[in-house]
Amino acid sequence: MPLINFAAREINYKIVYYGCGLCGKTTNLQYIHRKINPDARGKLVSIATEEERTLYFDFLPLTLGTVKGMQTRFHLYTVPGQSYYNASRKLVLQGVDGVIFVADSQITRLDENVESYLNLWDNLLGQGDDLSKLGFVIQMNKRDLGDIFSVEDLNELLNHTGSSVTEASAITGEGVFDTLKVVCKQVIAKTG
Amino acid sequence: MARRKGLVINDRQFDRCDVLLRKLKEVTGSSFLALISTSGQPITTASDSYHPETLSLASLAASSFAATQQLAKILDENEFTLLFHEGKGLNLHVSQVTEQVLLIVTFGHETQVGKVRLYTQRAIEVLRQIFEAADDTPPPEMDADFESSAGTAIDDLFKDV
Repeated sequence: MPLINFAAREINYKIVYYGCGLCGKTTNLQYIHRKINPDARGKLVSIATEEERTLYFDFLPLTLGTVKGMQTRFHLYTVPGQSYYNASRKLVLQGVDGVIFVADSQITRLDENVESYLNLWDNLLGQGDDLSKLGFVIQMNKRDLGDIFSVEDLNELLNHTGSSVTEASAITGEGVFDTLKVVCKQVIAKTG
Repeated sequence: MARRKGLVINDRQFDRCDVLLRKLKEVTGSSFLALISTSGQPITTASDSYHPETLSLASLAASSFAATQQLAKILDENEFTLLFHEGKGLNLHVSQVTEQVLLIVTFGHETQVGKVRLYTQRAIEVLRQIFEAADDTPPPEMDADFESSAGTAIDDLFKDV
């Protein structure tokens, strides 16, 4: 559930980008940070290793503006993709309102995608959330590369919940905002 | 049992928190105070001037605190209820108010750590009562058109330029 501050007329939603290492989570955030109206965003905070791999999370606050008298914000987070950082991933998921699962469409990354997808549901179920209240989108990323799964095949392999699916190439920005729109509208609809 | 705990703050709680934070700022001689949610979202602040990085500060402090809780578990400690960073010019004190709320205090050499800890602990006891009382109060209703208006705003903001 979002943080609703009726006194300050503010509502904040937390969106988390999840997925295996090097699937493009941070690239999504960097594109949004580059392209969105600078007045609508805060600073992009990255806690990364020297090799620029996410160590803890990236964080980007976005302000939607005042909607029906409520200052509405989306706080975007990424998790570290590498599997040995699972303890950190669980922490980032705390209080989440919506998840974007970034799937790497390359055929060679299938095992990593499946492992990360199962790990996501393990972690969500582990924190006892009512998943019917959670916004969820699968972003099939890297559609611009060769040797990739078809959308249908990847959907069959990963999308056991029949969730919304978007196609993207985060490096060029294709589909990045479309994905964000879908999940943001879902969290607002689901959390009332 | 499935849970999705939200945090809803009404006018009365907000006013009481604001008054208490201002008082705490005064008695401790601290420079900046903020109540934030454990998921990293700011609730209210008390500061001499607007802090431009409040959102980042809240996000990092909450994450840091959550990591500390996990460290406690690994070390077979029930919980660490306090996080303290000492700097050359500024100190950061993060403490737990309730399961969903944290209190951030920053202060310099003009005051003492002991004083901040003492008054912060007393303030937390009052803050805890304020937030626990909240659970019994039904939250106000959101505007019925919020979803459709937000949808339009999302389409306007999240477009490629």
